[in-house]
Amino acid sequence: MSPQVAAYWFVFLKGVAITLWISWLALLLGGALGFVVGMMRISKWTALRWLAVVYTEVFRSVPPLVLFFGCFYGLSFALQLDLSPFAAATIALTLTASALMSEVVRAGIESVSHGQWQAAYSSGMRYDQLFRYVVWPQAIRVMLPPSVGVYISTLKDSSLASIIGYVELTKSGLLVRETTGISFEVLLIIAILYFIINYSISLVGTALERRFRYVH
Amino acid sequence: MYEFNLAGLLPYTGPLPGAVLSTLWLSALAILLSILVGMLGALCRVSASLILRFAGAAYVEVLRNIPLLVVIYLIFFGLAQVGLRVDGFNSALIALTLNAGAYMTEIFRGGLLAIPRGQYEAARSQGMTGLQLYRYVVFPQVFRIIYAPLGNLIIGIVISSSLASVIGVEEVTTWMRRAGDETFRYMEAFFAVGVIYVLLAQAINIGRIVTGNWLLSKAPVGARR
Repeated sequence: MSPQVAAYWFVFLKGVAITLWISWLALLLGGALGFVVGMMRISKWTALRWLAVVYTEVFRSVPPLVLFFGCFYGLSFALQLDLSPFAAATIALTLTASALMSEVVRAGIESVSHGQWQAAYSSGMRYDQLFRYVVWPQAIRVMLPPSVGVYISTLKDSSLASIIGYVELTKSGLLVRETTGISFEVLLIIAILYFIINYSISLVGTALERRFRYVH
Repeated sequence: MYEFNLAGLLPYTGPLPGAVLSTLWLSALAILLSILVGMLGALCRVSASLILRFAGAAYVEVLRNIPLLVVIYLIFFGLAQVGLRVDGFNSALIALTLNAGAYMTEIFRGGLLAIPRGQYEAARSQGMTGLQLYRYVVFPQVFRIIYAPLGNLIIGIVISSSLASVIGVEEVTTWMRRAGDETFRYMEAFFAVGVIYVLLAQAINIGRIVTGNWLLSKAPVGARR
């Protein structure tokens, strides 16, 4: 590493921290929203089911970059409020993550066989008890490994926040690049940092998968 | 109160068909190239040579864990400094191909691994050459396994091609930015472009389902799933 670039190590470090923070925040918010949409997906009301399908399909099909612009400029103009890049990036990332998470939640719930639902109902359980005692304890195990995948995907999408001026890892790199005039090296460092972060997370994911694998 | 007014974008619809075509052209090239990369990558990953297997795995892990945006910057800005000047379109194409190629590799590998070892041996003992073995035994089955994830990945490539706008390639997302900047109708431009991407994705989805039904209808009864 050349000394000019090395002098900015704290900028890279801060970028890593901010990238981890915003993607974690978006994963939590997206998980909560995805949970709601996933439950709508298995609702007995057709209208709710359709709404959930449309939501998932739309936010999976609209490119995250387009969502970032829509949230930053579109929402700011439409609602006449001054969204900070952080707020806009969080909303955009949450929307993308929630669409992915709703599918994970749905797959998790559907992994519990329908016979168990009938068994729970015939034991006199209510809907909430069925989920509390029968479905969630099993569904959570199915949902954990793909959730790690959603986290990695959200973390990668968070690089797009650089486009609307939010200073996370990618934007930090671009700033250092502008200051030092060294392109290749700086961008390579950014790429390596992303790789280290995501690869570590995916290793954790593999370990979780092994830990939670069980025979139906 | 904000008035949603799509008509404000009307003067800017002229370049829109060209922008859609550009998105499709970039995506189509990236899809074709990444399928080639994926096939090569998958053959590396299941090869007998340890070096090839490692190279294949390293390629997949590295490209899957780096954001596409960073790959695009690395090729567009980074290579320029090292002395290799690549224009916007080709930078985006190379980055998309490398990125999607990693996912293609995993899809094709999954398909190859699903074919039992015994079928290779059976084909060999029938006197088939390596080429015939793949042509008549392996690929027809692999395609039936991979068409679903392949469809999803193709949608993913079209969606990712929006990142080309960051380095100034004229396509749908670039059109959205320009139309928004010039009219301040950002919400409308976002809405219009969102609809275009959803329609493109659903068109590919329908194409995938039709192809899937056609493939399955041609399959022998035992192979249907």
